[in-house]
Amino acid sequence: MRSAIFGRHLVSSAIMLLGVTLVLGFGYPLVVTGLSQLFFHQQANGSLLYRDGKLVGSALLGQSFTDSKGNPLPQYFQPRPSAAGAGYDASSSGASNLGPSNPLLIGFVAGVNTVGLNGQPSAANPFATKADPACVPTDPKGNPVTSPAPGQKYAKASDGSYICDPNTIPERAIAYRAFNGLAANAPVPSDAVTASGSGLDPDISVQNALAQAPRVARARHLAVSQVTALVHRYTQGRQWGFLGEPTVNVLKLNLALDGVS
Amino acid sequence: MSVSGWEQLAFVVVVTAVAAPLLGRYLAATFRGTVSVSGTGSESGGAGKKGAPGDRVFLPVERLVYRTLGVDPESSWTWRAYALAVLAFGLLSTLLLYIILRLQGVLPGNPTHTPGMPPLLSFNTAISFITGTNWQAYEGETQASYLADTVGLVVAQFTAAGVGLAVALAVVRGIAGKTRTIGNFWVDLTRSLVRVFVPLSVLSALVMVSQGAVQNLSGFRTAATLAGGSQKIPGGLVASMEAIKLLGTNGGSYYAAGGAHPFENPTGFTNMFDLLIVIVLPFAIVLMFGRLIGRPRQGYAIVAVMAIIFVGHTVVSMQAELHGNHLLPASVSQVASGVNPGGNMEGKETRFGPEASALMTVGTMGTTAGATDSALDSYTPVGGTGAFVAILLGEISPGGDGGGLYSILVLALLAVFVAGLMVGRTPEFLGKKIRATQMKLVVAYVLAIPTTVLILGSTSLVIAAGTRSILNPGLHGLTEVTYAYASVANNNGSAFAGLAANTPWYNTTLGLAMLVGRFAPIVLALAIAGSLAGARVHARTRATLDTAGPTFIAFLLGVIVIVGGLIYFPMLILGPIGERIIG
Repeated sequence: MRSAIFGRHLVSSAIMLLGVTLVLGFGYPLVVTGLSQLFFHQQANGSLLYRDGKLVGSALLGQSFTDSKGNPLPQYFQPRPSAAGAGYDASSSGASNLGPSNPLLIGFVAGVNTVGLNGQPSAANPFATKADPACVPTDPKGNPVTSPAPGQKYAKASDGSYICDPNTIPERAIAYRAFNGLAANAPVPSDAVTASGSGLDPDISVQNALAQAPRVARARHLAVSQVTALVHRYTQGRQWGFLGEPTVNVLKLNLALDGVS
Repeated sequence: MSVSGWEQLAFVVVVTAVAAPLLGRYLAATFRGTVSVSGTGSESGGAGKKGAPGDRVFLPVERLVYRTLGVDPESSWTWRAYALAVLAFGLLSTLLLYIILRLQGVLPGNPTHTPGMPPLLSFNTAISFITGTNWQAYEGETQASYLADTVGLVVAQFTAAGVGLAVALAVVRGIAGKTRTIGNFWVDLTRSLVRVFVPLSVLSALVMVSQGAVQNLSGFRTAATLAGGSQKIPGGLVASMEAIKLLGTNGGSYYAAGGAHPFENPTGFTNMFDLLIVIVLPFAIVLMFGRLIGRPRQGYAIVAVMAIIFVGHTVVSMQAELHGNHLLPASVSQVASGVNPGGNMEGKETRFGPEASALMTVGTMGTTAGATDSALDSYTPVGGTGAFVAILLGEISPGGDGGGLYSILVLALLAVFVAGLMVGRTPEFLGKKIRATQMKLVVAYVLAIPTTVLILGSTSLVIAAGTRSILNPGLHGLTEVTYAYASVANNNGSAFAGLAANTPWYNTTLGLAMLVGRFAPIVLALAIAGSLAGARVHARTRATLDTAGPTFIAFLLGVIVIVGGLIYFPMLILGPIGERIIG
């Protein structure tokens, strides 16, 4: 009796599934696509940006401004660090997913996650360098070493100090200051040294843009005030005055810069 | 919290407070004809006997569906027949989705040349979407074809939402109704889809596209970047999936990055809009319940409980994320200002900042959507605990579409029972006596998910197949694993995504946990409803516990916190709380 009911339900289920697959699987997305393309053509196709008729990117997706070796180009504003593929790979969106106490993110912080040369927890960081007390050492291939074993080989500089993993936040902060010619303890905005959730964040904070402006001006032989003015022109306030945060769209700003010089 | 943080929270609260009652009224009008309960005076009636809004448009569609299915829309079933229909539909849908995923490589609609999914990953993914969990062990951009996304996954997102609402309607009829039958599954499912989910999805998708969410069939386009490189810009039917992902409290995204991806969630407004379309409907369903049983106050009382929990876990996380990660060097500026979002920005988008990110992500954790706009794995221990606790309390703030209602109704039965014990009276809910039969089912309901989570979670922590997948060292790694099981068993689907979950062990056990977490509560809730269906309704006396007053609200909150808290407290101590203390 009950199996007969179940059988009847299975038949109804099959018909229902066929129906919803046709109507919701094909009809619904096509209706939405049609209406979107009709009314919001630009947005529906990815807010694409063209220069001289050539596609240069999307206003909504960040992109890398690096040379072929991966070094940041000083004449362009630099986006945030990215965990999408090798960096701003839009076919591989994603975050670093590193936890807040992971040495790969914060480095070795004494008393929190530091280990000795034998890999056992230790009170201090034996890999600390002068510039970076939180240094995470690398092996000769450049991979970070977070759980050292006795006999582990390390990459070292000519003065014998460890070569640190460049992707920790302390190291990124050091590199950011060096690249932008800032003082050794100048504050670095948190967005400049952290990877975004999508790895494709198109924006940086206003503070981050302003800190980069003098460097960009130098590289382009422009007055700093000229570049700063551009930053302010491309600063997008909070939507409706209170939704989200103020941002600067890196690609749009850099396109405008190319237009100036 | 900052001023803009409070403003955004206030925006969400105010819009919900306006929209949920309106939507609740619409839902009640839509489903009143199919529900006959004590107190309303309406006699038993089949679908559409009394006029419902939009009948002129919707009724012909529904009649066509009933005729094709060979279903008599006037017939109403026992709880067993209803549960069997839910199970039959679930079984067949899972099979169909499994086949689509396996064969996506050779099926049409695959411009990105995605190969078929491997068996265990298909198993996990099929169950994941049919159960409304939307745990994604696969990577959106490269492992699901356009056809699999829109025809397979999106359809599953619609039906999962429809089934949730249908079951909730059946439970309402059982708990409050006068008849021994609890409705007709096909009628409930059809009406849910035709009158609620499809129209709302089309509207929501268009709002998202207007802000920049993409909706096209272009595949990848190659851009020549300014620096002389190239970038592949993805396309896809994103907004249409995003709409039902959120409205249906599903949570499964088109892209791997989910709601953090600018093509899915482009602006500060869409971020709050996304959160709103997740939470408004579950709140509205509770208010619908109040109207259907002729006691709107009862609906508001339950909404109050849900809202208190929602604001609680959300505010804690917003504050923690704005405060930032205290382990960073002092020279990294985490102080929010007009020019710097500040706070813990790892895994967060600049346009949202730490507070709006936490508001959206942790806000949806009290529903089965578990949609994220930021990387939970990188949240501070306290911020992540907000999300974890929302899930562990059983997804009732405000819960999934339908699921939120029947979950909290079961907890309400538990609460009146405990209250009854304290004063020595036979407990009653909505005038019906709660006896041993119901309490046994309630206890089974309350224990089903924790048992699954704790057994599978602790097993994963002691076998290599489980621990190999952990990304982050120490106590944070423990949280990655336990969070995964808690998330899927509650059909939430969000992840501490560092866990490499696409392995045979995790694909299998997480798949099983999702099945238990979806269908055990459904069957038990229907059984409870069936056991109360047609029971005698006792008149209210002065000694009757008022289940809509402040005393009951406080009492229900207490029961929820004690049940959830005591079961999982050791796990929280070993995980995020320990991490915070040591750090």
